[in-house]
Amino acid sequence: MADDVEFESLVDRFYAPLYQFAFSLTRAEADASDLTQQTFTVWATKGHQLRDSSKVKTWLFTTLHREFLVSRRRQTRFPHFELDAAEAELPTIPPAPASGLDAAEVLEALTRLDEVFQAPVALFYLQDYSYNEIAEILAVPLGTVKSRLARGIRQLQHLLGHDLAFEENPPPSHL
Amino acid sequence: MNRDESKQILLLYRPGTADAEDPQIIEALALVKQDAELARWLEKHCERQAALRAQFRQIAPPAGLKEQIIFEHAADQRRLSARHKLQFALASLALILGALALVWHPHRTSENTLAIYQNQMARVALSPYGMDLITNRPAPIRAYLAQKQAPADFELPAPLQQTSLTGCAVREWRGARVSLICFRTGKPLPPGVASDLWLFVVDRAVVPNAPLGAAPQLAKVNRLMTASWTKGDKLYFLGTDDGAAALQQYL
Repeated sequence: MADDVEFESLVDRFYAPLYQFAFSLTRAEADASDLTQQTFTVWATKGHQLRDSSKVKTWLFTTLHREFLVSRRRQTRFPHFELDAAEAELPTIPPAPASGLDAAEVLEALTRLDEVFQAPVALFYLQDYSYNEIAEILAVPLGTVKSRLARGIRQLQHLLGHDLAFEENPPPSHL
Repeated sequence: MNRDESKQILLLYRPGTADAEDPQIIEALALVKQDAELARWLEKHCERQAALRAQFRQIAPPAGLKEQIIFEHAADQRRLSARHKLQFALASLALILGALALVWHPHRTSENTLAIYQNQMARVALSPYGMDLITNRPAPIRAYLAQKQAPADFELPAPLQQTSLTGCAVREWRGARVSLICFRTGKPLPPGVASDLWLFVVDRAVVPNAPLGAAPQLAKVNRLMTASWTKGDKLYFLGTDDGAAALQQYL
Protein backbone atom coordinates (compact mmCIF):
# COMPACT_ATOMS: atom_id res chain seq x y z
CA MET A 1 0.00 0.00 0.00
CA ALA A 2 2.84 2.38 0.91
CA ASP A 3 4.38 1.67 -2.46
CA ASP A 4 1.10 2.50 -4.16
CA VAL A 5 0.86 5.83 -2.35
CA GLU A 6 4.46 6.63 -3.25
CA PHE A 7 3.83 5.72 -6.87
CA GLU A 8 0.71 7.86 -7.05
CA SER A 9 2.55 10.78 -5.51
CA LEU A 10 5.34 10.38 -8.06
CA VAL A 11 2.87 10.28 -10.94
CA ASP A 12 1.10 13.32 -9.55
CA ARG A 13 4.32 15.31 -9.47
CA PHE A 14 5.87 14.34 -12.74
CA TYR A 15 3.32 13.07 -15.24
CA ALA A 16 2.55 16.54 -16.65
CA PRO A 17 6.15 17.67 -17.29
CA LEU A 18 6.99 14.22 -18.63
CA TYR A 19 4.03 14.37 -20.96
CA GLN A 20 5.10 17.81 -22.16
CA PHE A 21 8.55 16.49 -22.95
CA ALA A 22 7.10 13.39 -24.61
CA PHE A 23 4.75 15.52 -26.68
CA SER A 24 7.58 17.79 -27.76
CA LEU A 25 9.40 14.71 -29.00
CA THR A 26 6.54 12.81 -30.59
CA ARG A 27 4.10 15.60 -31.48
CA ALA A 28 1.25 13.12 -31.10
CA GLU A 29 -1.02 12.89 -28.10
CA ALA A 30 -1.36 9.10 -28.18
CA ASP A 31 2.37 8.53 -28.58
CA ALA A 32 3.18 11.03 -25.83
CA SER A 33 0.67 9.37 -23.50
CA ASP A 34 2.14 5.94 -24.24
CA LEU A 35 5.65 7.21 -23.70
CA THR A 36 4.71 8.80 -20.39
CA GLN A 37 2.97 5.67 -19.21
CA GLN A 38 5.87 3.50 -20.34
CA THR A 39 8.25 5.69 -18.35
CA PHE A 40 6.28 5.04 -15.17
CA THR A 41 6.10 1.34 -15.98
CA VAL A 42 9.88 1.26 -16.20
CA TRP A 43 10.03 3.15 -12.93
CA ALA A 44 7.76 0.57 -11.27
CA THR A 45 10.11 -2.23 -12.23
CA LYS A 46 13.52 -0.56 -12.03
CA GLY A 47 13.03 2.58 -9.97
CA HIS A 48 14.13 0.85 -6.79
CA GLN A 49 17.64 0.67 -8.26
CA LEU A 50 17.96 4.44 -8.00
CA ARG A 51 19.81 5.20 -4.77
CA ASP A 52 19.84 9.00 -4.87
CA SER A 53 16.25 10.15 -4.39
CA SER A 54 17.14 13.67 -5.53
CA LYS A 55 17.74 12.23 -9.00
CA VAL A 56 14.22 10.90 -9.50
CA LYS A 57 13.16 13.62 -11.91
CA THR A 58 16.32 13.35 -13.98
CA TRP A 59 15.96 9.56 -13.95
CA LEU A 60 12.42 9.82 -15.29
CA PHE A 61 13.34 12.23 -18.06
CA THR A 62 16.35 10.13 -19.01
CA THR A 63 14.17 7.04 -19.14
CA LEU A 64 11.54 8.77 -21.22
CA HIS A 65 14.14 9.95 -23.71
CA ARG A 66 15.66 6.49 -23.88
CA GLU A 67 12.25 4.93 -24.46
CA PHE A 68 11.60 7.49 -27.17
CA LEU A 69 14.82 6.55 -28.93
CA VAL A 70 13.92 2.87 -28.69
CA SER A 71 10.47 3.45 -30.12
CA ARG A 72 11.89 5.63 -32.86
CA ARG A 73 14.38 2.92 -33.82
CA ARG A 74 11.45 0.52 -33.98
CA GLN A 75 9.57 2.95 -36.19
CA THR A 76 12.61 3.28 -38.40
CA ARG A 77 12.50 -0.45 -38.92
CA PHE A 78 8.72 -0.42 -39.45
CA PRO A 79 8.07 3.14 -40.67
CA HIS A 80 4.68 4.81 -40.87
CA PHE A 81 4.58 6.64 -44.13
CA GLU A 82 1.31 8.49 -43.61
CA LEU A 83 2.83 11.31 -41.57
CA ASP A 84 5.84 11.69 -43.81
CA ALA A 85 3.60 11.90 -46.81
CA ALA A 86 1.48 14.58 -45.18
CA GLU A 87 4.45 16.59 -43.98
CA ALA A 88 5.01 18.26 -47.31
CA GLU A 89 1.47 19.56 -47.23
CA LEU A 90 1.73 21.15 -43.80
CA PRO A 91 1.33 24.94 -43.87
CA THR A 92 4.33 27.14 -43.33
CA ILE A 93 4.16 29.09 -40.10
CA PRO A 94 3.86 32.76 -40.80
CA PRO A 95 6.07 35.10 -38.81
CA ALA A 96 4.35 36.36 -35.70
CA PRO A 97 5.33 38.25 -32.60
CA ALA A 98 6.19 35.95 -29.70
CA SER A 99 3.31 37.15 -27.62
CA GLY A 100 0.89 36.26 -30.41
CA LEU A 101 2.03 32.65 -30.68
CA ASP A 102 0.07 29.76 -29.34
CA ALA A 103 1.39 26.44 -28.14
CA ALA A 104 0.50 24.68 -31.38
CA GLU A 105 2.59 27.09 -33.41
CA VAL A 106 5.53 26.77 -31.08
CA LEU A 107 5.32 23.01 -31.22
CA GLU A 108 4.97 23.10 -34.94
CA ALA A 109 8.17 25.10 -35.08
CA LEU A 110 9.81 22.58 -32.79
CA THR A 111 8.91 19.78 -35.19
CA ARG A 112 10.75 21.64 -37.90
CA LEU A 113 13.94 21.84 -35.94
CA ASP A 114 16.71 19.49 -36.92
CA GLU A 115 16.00 16.32 -34.95
CA VAL A 116 19.21 16.55 -32.98
CA PHE A 117 18.10 19.91 -31.51
CA GLN A 118 14.57 18.94 -30.52
CA ALA A 119 15.18 17.16 -27.21
CA PRO A 120 17.66 19.69 -25.77
CA VAL A 121 15.52 22.65 -26.83
CA ALA A 122 12.41 21.05 -25.32
CA LEU A 123 14.19 20.40 -22.04
CA PHE A 124 15.60 23.92 -22.10
CA TYR A 125 12.21 25.57 -22.36
CA LEU A 126 10.05 23.10 -20.51
CA GLN A 127 11.89 22.34 -17.32
CA ASP A 128 14.54 24.97 -16.79
CA TYR A 129 17.01 22.14 -16.53
CA SER A 130 20.62 23.19 -16.16
CA TYR A 131 22.97 22.44 -19.02
CA ASN A 132 24.57 19.72 -16.94
CA GLU A 133 21.23 18.06 -16.28
CA ILE A 134 20.30 18.19 -19.94
CA ALA A 135 23.64 16.62 -20.76
CA GLU A 136 22.94 13.87 -18.24
CA ILE A 137 19.44 13.19 -19.53
CA LEU A 138 20.52 13.06 -23.15
CA ALA A 139 23.79 11.30 -22.35
CA VAL A 140 25.90 13.75 -24.35
CA PRO A 141 28.84 15.96 -23.25
CA LEU A 142 28.14 19.40 -21.78
CA GLY A 143 29.82 21.19 -24.69
CA THR A 144 27.64 19.33 -27.15
CA VAL A 145 24.53 20.33 -25.22
CA LYS A 146 25.49 24.00 -25.27
CA SER A 147 26.30 23.87 -28.94
CA ARG A 148 23.04 22.12 -29.81
CA LEU A 149 21.04 24.50 -27.65
CA ALA A 150 22.56 27.57 -29.25
CA ARG A 151 21.94 26.28 -32.74
CA GLY A 152 18.53 24.92 -31.89
CA ILE A 153 17.33 28.16 -30.31
CA ARG A 154 18.58 30.15 -33.24
CA GLN A 155 16.85 27.83 -35.65
CA LEU A 156 13.64 27.99 -33.63
CA GLN A 157 13.69 31.79 -33.60
CA HIS A 158 14.25 31.82 -37.30
CA LEU A 159 11.31 29.49 -37.85
CA LEU A 160 9.10 31.67 -35.68
CA GLY A 161 10.10 34.75 -37.56
CA HIS A 162 11.79 36.66 -34.79
CA ASP A 163 15.37 36.03 -35.53
CA LEU A 164 16.77 39.00 -33.72
CA ALA A 165 19.95 37.56 -32.41
CA PHE A 166 22.15 38.24 -35.39
CA GLU A 167 20.23 40.57 -37.59
CA GLU A 168 23.26 42.54 -38.41
CA ASN A 169 26.05 39.98 -38.19
CA PRO A 170 25.25 36.29 -38.77
CA PRO A 171 26.89 33.98 -36.20
CA PRO A 172 29.88 31.85 -37.05
CA SER A 173 28.75 28.52 -38.42
CA HIS A 174 31.12 26.34 -36.45
CA LEU A 175 28.90 26.20 -33.35
CA MET B 1 34.50 39.23 -25.72
CA ASN B 2 32.67 41.41 -28.27
CA ARG B 3 28.97 42.09 -28.66
CA ASP B 4 28.25 39.27 -31.10
CA GLU B 5 30.07 36.75 -28.97
CA SER B 6 28.08 37.94 -25.98
CA LYS B 7 24.83 37.53 -27.89
CA GLN B 8 25.91 34.07 -28.87
CA ILE B 9 26.48 33.15 -25.24
CA LEU B 10 23.40 34.93 -23.93
CA LEU B 11 21.17 33.00 -26.29
CA LEU B 12 21.23 30.29 -23.65
CA TYR B 13 20.65 32.62 -20.73
CA ARG B 14 17.49 32.10 -18.70
CA PRO B 15 17.07 34.74 -15.99
CA GLY B 16 16.36 33.35 -12.53
CA THR B 17 18.01 29.99 -13.18
CA ALA B 18 21.39 28.44 -12.55
CA ASP B 19 22.50 29.78 -15.94
CA ALA B 20 23.68 32.95 -14.19
CA GLU B 21 26.40 30.87 -12.49
CA ASP B 22 27.97 29.88 -15.78
CA PRO B 23 31.35 31.70 -16.10
CA GLN B 24 30.79 32.61 -19.75
CA ILE B 25 27.37 34.02 -19.01
CA ILE B 26 28.74 35.96 -16.06
CA GLU B 27 31.27 37.51 -18.40
CA ALA B 28 28.65 38.26 -21.05
CA LEU B 29 26.30 39.80 -18.49
CA ALA B 30 29.12 42.04 -17.33
CA LEU B 31 29.41 43.33 -20.87
CA VAL B 32 25.66 43.96 -20.97
CA LYS B 33 26.08 46.46 -18.15
CA GLN B 34 28.51 48.45 -20.28
CA ASP B 35 26.71 48.17 -23.64
CA ALA B 36 23.28 49.78 -23.91
CA GLU B 37 22.52 48.21 -27.28
CA LEU B 38 23.41 44.77 -26.00
CA ALA B 39 21.22 45.41 -22.95
CA ARG B 40 18.25 46.24 -25.20
CA TRP B 41 18.88 43.13 -27.25
CA LEU B 42 19.01 40.99 -24.13
CA GLU B 43 15.82 42.50 -22.75
CA LYS B 44 13.98 41.75 -25.99
CA HIS B 45 15.52 38.30 -26.24
CA CYS B 46 14.52 37.42 -22.70
CA GLU B 47 11.01 38.69 -23.31
CA ARG B 48 10.61 36.42 -26.32
CA GLN B 49 12.22 33.52 -24.58
CA ALA B 50 9.77 33.90 -21.70
CA ALA B 51 6.89 33.95 -24.15
CA LEU B 52 8.21 30.86 -25.88
CA ARG B 53 8.69 29.08 -22.58
CA ALA B 54 5.15 29.95 -21.56
CA GLN B 55 3.82 28.52 -24.80
CA PHE B 56 5.78 25.30 -24.39
CA ARG B 57 4.36 24.90 -20.94
CA GLN B 58 0.82 25.21 -22.21
CA ILE B 59 1.06 21.67 -23.48
CA ALA B 60 -1.45 19.90 -21.27
CA PRO B 61 -1.71 16.18 -20.74
CA PRO B 62 -4.96 14.63 -21.94
CA ALA B 63 -7.66 14.27 -19.31
CA GLY B 64 -7.45 10.98 -17.47
CA LEU B 65 -3.81 10.24 -18.27
CA LYS B 66 -2.76 10.35 -14.63
CA GLU B 67 -5.63 8.08 -13.58
CA GLN B 68 -4.83 5.70 -16.43
CA ILE B 69 -1.17 5.45 -15.38
CA ILE B 70 -2.17 4.73 -11.78
CA PHE B 71 -4.85 2.26 -12.84
CA GLU B 72 -2.47 0.37 -15.14
CA HIS B 73 0.14 0.24 -12.41
CA ALA B 74 -2.38 -1.18 -9.94
CA ALA B 75 -3.50 -3.73 -12.53
CA ASP B 76 0.13 -4.72 -13.16
CA GLN B 77 0.65 -5.11 -9.43
CA ARG B 78 -2.42 -7.33 -9.15
CA ARG B 79 -1.26 -9.46 -12.07
CA LEU B 80 2.19 -9.68 -10.54
CA SER B 81 0.76 -10.55 -7.16
CA ALA B 82 -1.46 -13.25 -8.67
CA ARG B 83 1.53 -14.64 -10.56
CA HIS B 84 3.64 -14.64 -7.41
CA LYS B 85 0.89 -16.41 -5.49
CA LEU B 86 0.60 -19.02 -8.22
CA GLN B 87 4.38 -19.47 -8.34
CA PHE B 88 4.46 -19.77 -4.55
CA ALA B 89 1.64 -22.32 -4.58
CA LEU B 90 3.36 -24.36 -7.29
CA ALA B 91 6.70 -24.18 -5.49
CA SER B 92 5.05 -25.28 -2.24
CA LEU B 93 3.31 -28.15 -3.99
CA ALA B 94 6.57 -29.24 -5.61
CA LEU B 95 8.27 -29.08 -2.21
CA ILE B 96 5.59 -31.20 -0.57
CA LEU B 97 5.66 -33.74 -3.39
CA GLY B 98 9.44 -33.81 -3.22
CA ALA B 99 9.36 -34.38 0.52
CA LEU B 100 6.78 -37.11 0.14
CA ALA B 101 8.85 -38.74 -2.57
CA LEU B 102 11.92 -38.64 -0.34
CA VAL B 103 10.14 -40.02 2.69
CA TRP B 104 7.90 -42.54 1.07
CA HIS B 105 8.98 -43.51 -2.40
CA PRO B 106 12.55 -44.80 -1.92
CA HIS B 107 11.58 -46.81 1.14
CA ARG B 108 8.66 -48.33 -0.66
CA THR B 109 10.75 -48.97 -3.75
CA SER B 110 13.56 -50.70 -1.87
CA GLU B 111 11.21 -52.86 0.18
CA ASN B 112 9.29 -53.88 -2.88
CA THR B 113 12.44 -54.48 -4.86
CA LEU B 114 13.75 -57.11 -2.46
CA ALA B 115 10.33 -58.70 -2.00
CA ILE B 116 9.71 -58.76 -5.74
CA TYR B 117 13.12 -60.28 -6.36
CA GLN B 118 12.60 -62.95 -3.70
CA ASN B 119 9.13 -63.82 -4.98
CA GLN B 120 10.20 -64.06 -8.57
CA MET B 121 13.21 -66.23 -7.75
CA ALA B 122 11.05 -68.48 -5.58
CA ARG B 123 8.65 -68.92 -8.48
CA VAL B 124 11.57 -69.87 -10.73
CA ALA B 125 12.64 -72.53 -8.24
CA LEU B 126 9.15 -73.94 -7.87
CA SER B 127 8.31 -73.91 -11.57
CA PRO B 128 9.34 -76.71 -13.92
CA TYR B 129 12.47 -74.89 -15.05
CA GLY B 130 15.13 -76.40 -17.22
CA MET B 131 18.80 -76.27 -16.17
CA ASP B 132 21.18 -74.87 -18.76
CA LEU B 133 23.96 -77.13 -17.59
CA ILE B 134 23.58 -80.42 -15.75
CA THR B 135 26.68 -81.34 -13.78
CA ASN B 136 27.75 -82.11 -10.25
CA ARG B 137 31.13 -80.43 -10.64
CA PRO B 138 31.60 -76.84 -9.51
CA ALA B 139 34.25 -75.85 -12.06
CA PRO B 140 32.10 -76.31 -15.18
CA ILE B 141 29.29 -74.45 -13.44
CA ARG B 142 31.48 -71.43 -12.71
CA ALA B 143 32.88 -71.53 -16.21
CA TYR B 144 29.44 -71.66 -17.76
CA LEU B 145 28.14 -68.82 -15.63
CA ALA B 146 31.19 -66.71 -16.39
CA GLN B 147 30.73 -67.36 -20.07
CA LYS B 148 27.14 -66.15 -19.81
CA GLN B 149 28.31 -63.05 -17.92
CA ALA B 150 26.36 -64.11 -14.86
CA PRO B 151 27.87 -63.99 -11.34
CA ALA B 152 30.43 -66.80 -11.23
CA ASP B 153 32.84 -65.79 -8.49
CA PHE B 154 30.35 -66.36 -5.70
CA GLU B 155 31.34 -67.69 -2.28
CA LEU B 156 29.44 -70.61 -0.86
CA PRO B 157 28.94 -71.20 2.86
CA ALA B 158 31.00 -74.18 4.00
CA PRO B 159 28.02 -76.57 4.44
CA LEU B 160 26.81 -75.74 0.97
CA GLN B 161 30.19 -76.51 -0.49
CA GLN B 162 29.66 -80.08 0.72
CA THR B 163 26.21 -80.38 -0.84
CA SER B 164 25.74 -82.19 -4.12
CA LEU B 165 25.44 -79.98 -7.15
CA THR B 166 23.00 -80.82 -9.92
CA GLY B 167 23.57 -78.00 -12.36
CA CYS B 168 22.97 -74.35 -13.11
CA ALA B 169 20.98 -71.87 -15.14
CA VAL B 170 21.06 -68.19 -15.97
CA ARG B 171 18.00 -65.95 -15.53
CA GLU B 172 17.48 -62.25 -16.08
CA TRP B 173 15.96 -59.87 -13.59
CA ARG B 174 15.49 -56.22 -14.47
CA GLY B 175 18.30 -56.38 -16.97
CA ALA B 176 20.76 -58.11 -14.64
CA ARG B 177 22.00 -61.66 -14.98
CA VAL B 178 21.10 -63.98 -12.09
CA SER B 179 23.02 -67.19 -11.51
CA LEU B 180 20.92 -70.14 -10.36
CA ILE B 181 22.92 -72.98 -8.80
CA CYS B 182 20.94 -76.12 -8.06
CA PHE B 183 21.64 -78.67 -5.28
CA ARG B 184 20.25 -81.92 -4.07
CA THR B 185 20.01 -82.42 -0.29
CA GLY B 186 19.74 -86.19 -0.50
CA LYS B 187 16.18 -86.66 0.62
CA PRO B 188 13.92 -88.66 -1.69
CA LEU B 189 12.53 -86.62 -4.58
CA PRO B 190 9.55 -87.27 -6.81
CA PRO B 191 10.30 -88.67 -10.25
CA GLY B 192 11.58 -86.07 -12.70
CA VAL B 193 12.72 -83.69 -9.96
CA ALA B 194 16.48 -83.25 -9.79
CA SER B 195 16.97 -80.51 -7.18
CA ASP B 196 15.51 -79.43 -3.86
CA LEU B 197 17.86 -76.58 -2.85
CA TRP B 198 18.42 -73.51 -4.94
CA LEU B 199 20.87 -70.65 -4.67
CA PHE B 200 20.37 -67.41 -6.60
CA VAL B 201 23.28 -64.98 -6.91
CA VAL B 202 22.95 -61.48 -8.32
CA ASP B 203 24.82 -58.18 -8.18
CA ARG B 204 23.62 -56.55 -4.95
CA ALA B 205 23.37 -53.15 -6.62
CA VAL B 206 20.37 -54.44 -8.55
CA VAL B 207 18.39 -54.76 -5.32
CA PRO B 208 18.68 -51.42 -3.49
CA ASN B 209 17.62 -52.68 -0.05
CA ALA B 210 19.42 -55.98 -0.07
CA PRO B 211 20.34 -57.17 3.43
CA LEU B 212 23.35 -55.27 4.70
CA GLY B 213 25.36 -58.08 6.18
CA ALA B 214 26.51 -61.62 5.81
CA ALA B 215 24.09 -62.84 8.50
CA PRO B 216 21.30 -64.69 6.66
CA GLN B 217 17.80 -63.34 7.06
CA LEU B 218 15.25 -66.13 7.03
CA ALA B 219 11.86 -65.62 5.47
CA LYS B 220 9.06 -67.70 4.08
CA VAL B 221 8.59 -66.80 0.43
CA ASN B 222 5.84 -68.59 -1.45
CA ARG B 223 6.23 -72.23 -0.43
CA LEU B 224 9.95 -71.93 0.18
CA MET B 225 11.89 -71.29 3.33
CA THR B 226 14.55 -68.82 2.24
CA ALA B 227 17.66 -67.12 3.52
CA SER B 228 19.03 -63.87 2.12
CA TRP B 229 22.42 -62.32 2.79
CA THR B 230 25.04 -60.22 1.10
CA LYS B 231 28.73 -60.71 0.82
CA GLY B 232 31.07 -58.57 -1.22
CA ASP B 233 29.14 -57.15 -4.11
CA LYS B 234 26.65 -59.98 -4.32
CA LEU B 235 23.24 -60.81 -2.97
CA TYR B 236 22.64 -64.46 -2.12
CA PHE B 237 19.18 -65.98 -1.94
CA LEU B 238 18.93 -69.62 -0.87
CA GLY B 239 15.64 -71.54 -0.79
CA THR B 240 14.30 -74.99 -0.01
CA ASP B 241 10.85 -76.46 0.35
CA ASP B 242 11.87 -77.98 3.68
CA GLY B 243 11.54 -76.04 6.88
CA ALA B 244 13.84 -73.49 8.49
CA ALA B 245 15.79 -76.15 10.41
CA ALA B 246 16.65 -77.96 7.18
CA LEU B 247 17.71 -74.71 5.54
CA GLN B 248 19.98 -73.69 8.37
CA GLN B 249 22.06 -76.84 7.88
CA TYR B 250 23.40 -75.27 4.70
CA LEU B 251 24.28 -71.82 6.02
